[in-house]
Amino acid sequence: MASSPSRSPLPPAEIADRLRAQFGEDVRSAEEVHGHMTVAVNPERYREIAAFLRDDPDLGFDFFDFLTVVDFRPKGRGFDVVTHLYATRHNHHVRLKVECPAEDPRCPSLSDLWPGANWHEREAWELFGVVFDGHPHLVKLVLPEQFEGHPLRKDFALMTREAKPWPGAVEGEEIEE
Amino acid sequence: MDQVEMPQPVKFILNWGRKYSLWVMNFGLACCAIELIATSTSKHDFMRLGVIPIAHGPRQADLMVVAGTLTDKMAPALKRVYDQMPDPKYVISFGSCSNCGGPYWDSYSVTKGVDQIVPVDVYVPGCPPRPEALLHGIIRLQEKIAGEDIREKWSGKLTQPQPAATS
Repeated sequence: MASSPSRSPLPPAEIADRLRAQFGEDVRSAEEVHGHMTVAVNPERYREIAAFLRDDPDLGFDFFDFLTVVDFRPKGRGFDVVTHLYATRHNHHVRLKVECPAEDPRCPSLSDLWPGANWHEREAWELFGVVFDGHPHLVKLVLPEQFEGHPLRKDFALMTREAKPWPGAVEGEEIEE
Repeated sequence: MDQVEMPQPVKFILNWGRKYSLWVMNFGLACCAIELIATSTSKHDFMRLGVIPIAHGPRQADLMVVAGTLTDKMAPALKRVYDQMPDPKYVISFGSCSNCGGPYWDSYSVTKGVDQIVPVDVYVPGCPPRPEALLHGIIRLQEKIAGEDIREKWSGKLTQPQPAATS
């Protein structure tokens, strides 16, 4: 596989079509965002879909770019785990989104498929409290050992903001509503 | 020696010598460190003020310039380096982050001012401050050294490690 020649990138819609052809209804939605295909998938087949994206020769997502989490609980949903993959031989991107429940959020780990996922998942775990099932070493990465809480959750209380409210708009949310 | 008032000329000579021989410990933590390095290079050249970059370790340093964002996780390391420096020792807090947390005033991880960890002699404001601001801060520190009572400073009472506060 390492010797295969570089190819031109697949169009974003083509990536979604191939996933739909393989997994059908488990690809819940697919839309193009900032030129990259973003697909929301069924959490139960998340690992299977990720492995397919890595191993299919035409897709070939061999590079784990980043993983992050979005806290949608203020909007009445759970957490979204967002995984960005890149194919170095094809030069195309894809983002996978998995929804986790607001209470006891859990998500399968990808760190055995891409070793690069290991630290991303540790960071997401400590900052958002999403547990990655199957992760080999889920301990704190960037926070001090004695730190309590998950600071990037929307309901995390910042002591300084309790004393002095944020003077500006919070990330444009007021404008939106 | 503690009982005798030191003669004024001796005091002057000692302080004059010390203020033009400040070995600096670079505690660069973020972008402010670039301005600190720029101050040490040929254009701004703080060696003309007697500030000698960069001490080989905290045990050779007289002055620590804390340049950048101090996080709660880094704070014990800063305290440890400061405690390793021999008396008399000085601290310049360089930039808004090390003065008060700066743009990270509401962060969960940033220490809101290095003066919570170590005693600070001179604060240099700015985000980041220009090298000229650090030169001004060094001159202010030298004015402070010139007016110092050497015995009090050398006693270590002003800078000795404080026992951790028990709650």
